[in-house]
Amino acid sequence: MRTALLLIILTAFVVVFPHLVQSPYLIHIGTLIFIWSFITTAWSYMGRFGLISLGHGAFLGLGAYTTGLLFNAYGLSPWIGMLLGGLAAVLLAMLIGYACFRFGVIGDYFALVTLALGEVVALTLIAFRDITGGSLGFTLKSMGTSLIAFQSEEKIHFYYGSFAFLILALLVWKWIDRSPMQKAMRAIGEDEIAASTLGVGIIRYKMIITMISAFTTAIGAVLYAQYITYLNPHTLSGVPPSLEIAFKAILGGMFSLWGPTVGTLLIVSLEEYFRVVYGSTFVGFSQIIYGLALVLLIIFLPKGIYGSLQALFQRKK
Amino acid sequence: MTELLLNAIMNGILLGGVLALLAFGMNLIFGVVKIIHLAYGQCVMLGMYVVYTLAVLMKMPVILACIIALPVMGIVGVLLQSLVINPLLKAKANPLTQLLALAGLTIVIENMAQVVWGADLRGINIQLPLIHFGNVYIRTSNLIAFFGALLTLLGLYLFLNRTYLGLAIRSIAQDLDSARLMGINPRAIYYTTMAIGGLLTGVIAAFFSPIYAVHPHFGGSFTLMAFIIVVLGGMGNMLGGFIGAFIIGVVTSVSAVLTSTEIADILALVIFIAVILVRPQGLLGIKVSK
Repeated sequence: MRTALLLIILTAFVVVFPHLVQSPYLIHIGTLIFIWSFITTAWSYMGRFGLISLGHGAFLGLGAYTTGLLFNAYGLSPWIGMLLGGLAAVLLAMLIGYACFRFGVIGDYFALVTLALGEVVALTLIAFRDITGGSLGFTLKSMGTSLIAFQSEEKIHFYYGSFAFLILALLVWKWIDRSPMQKAMRAIGEDEIAASTLGVGIIRYKMIITMISAFTTAIGAVLYAQYITYLNPHTLSGVPPSLEIAFKAILGGMFSLWGPTVGTLLIVSLEEYFRVVYGSTFVGFSQIIYGLALVLLIIFLPKGIYGSLQALFQRKK
Repeated sequence: MTELLLNAIMNGILLGGVLALLAFGMNLIFGVVKIIHLAYGQCVMLGMYVVYTLAVLMKMPVILACIIALPVMGIVGVLLQSLVINPLLKAKANPLTQLLALAGLTIVIENMAQVVWGADLRGINIQLPLIHFGNVYIRTSNLIAFFGALLTLLGLYLFLNRTYLGLAIRSIAQDLDSARLMGINPRAIYYTTMAIGGLLTGVIAAFFSPIYAVHPHFGGSFTLMAFIIVVLGGMGNMLGGFIGAFIIGVVTSVSAVLTSTEIADILALVIFIAVILVRPQGLLGIKVSK
């Protein structure tokens, strides 16, 4: 009951917020928080079951570039392109997922294989510079405000749109929680060999969860690309964005529904605060604090900020 | 075309020498402290900034700057051990957590470099002559780096096999519990290993400084390269790492000439993924017990 009330207040706040502040800048920050929360939540679908991927940039890049290139070259609506981009990400996830799970690559080795995968996609995007624009990236053809082209000159459209997407991602989390997959994946995450002797189809469940995560991540990338209308291999694939996704989720707490969102909210706000207060010369400064906080959190609070708070409250009850 | 290829192979072998050193440092730390040092390339980058600061900003002779960089990086290694790795070991963190913590560390180091030295390319700008044998051209700086790296490796080999401290380090790598029973203090050995690993990043930085200009994201690709080599040779296998360095050096250098540098790096990464999947014990096939 109390949670329901809290949720209604939270949603009402998010809806009213743009009209209260009337600031395009704050609406922009809100949109970024929704989009990246969507992506980090998608990452946590896997992460919470011990499948730590350090290469989700691969799915970001594949999703955004497939959609963006098809739109610019053939005028294909991003709504369809998004599905194709998601499909491309799923295919890649199937390939790498099957290879890893079949050969029993888990834990830190899985993280390293995915790390390499993210870099492979980034390098591929750069290497085919005739099509992708290489390191410079490319701009989406501007269509003004058009629903079919998934573009808008009004920030507010993307603000509400990405909020709706975020809610969808959270609902998928809930859906995973209620499905039989959740129990199987938890058993696998705790003790893989024990689970397999009990007849849990390890490879199958891991594949499904990886594919869902890859698809959702690709959709998130399209959302971001449509909002920014500019695609760059260094912001959409490779090691830095891949690590950032993982770290935002871990910082907030990848085991709880709201963890990734809280982590994204904190990091994006912190970054913006430092950018505004200390100017662009100190962009690195916020990242240093963020990195230090991460190292400390990983060592001392492995459940993340939100997860640890949650555990604390539950113990008090 | 054959000239181009010959040049590429030569450059690959020369690069392989320094890569072998890089892989050796990472291997040593993995073997002894049992940690994948994901910020190793970033430490090399830090060393190059130290050389740059001393040689260009403080106008010291380059040789002196390089020599001072060694103990400085050794101290950085010790600091990493006491500030990051010791707490990780104390918290009994699993390998994945250790990996993530060190990945977080790369963000700290890279951005620190950006705040202190800026995002521009920083080089020490010295011109060394070009040597040629027939149609094969070699940069003197690469040649110095190659032979310097081999000498350093020889020195490390003698140190690990002929001195008491070296033997103590190897015994910890082989069997922690027995080594402890023989009266070796693991903590002291961990510190020593990280100091040597740090010193090595200083050596590599000194060799790299005349070749490359450094920027805040310089280290990442070398961390990945070192790690690819370490996995190819078998984690903790020194000889495997040595051979792997030359394989990767030549393969990337030749494929860069034939296609593009991006395709060359993709090839190295694909080799890496394939080795982890199919042959995780590395090319030489010595299983390291976990």
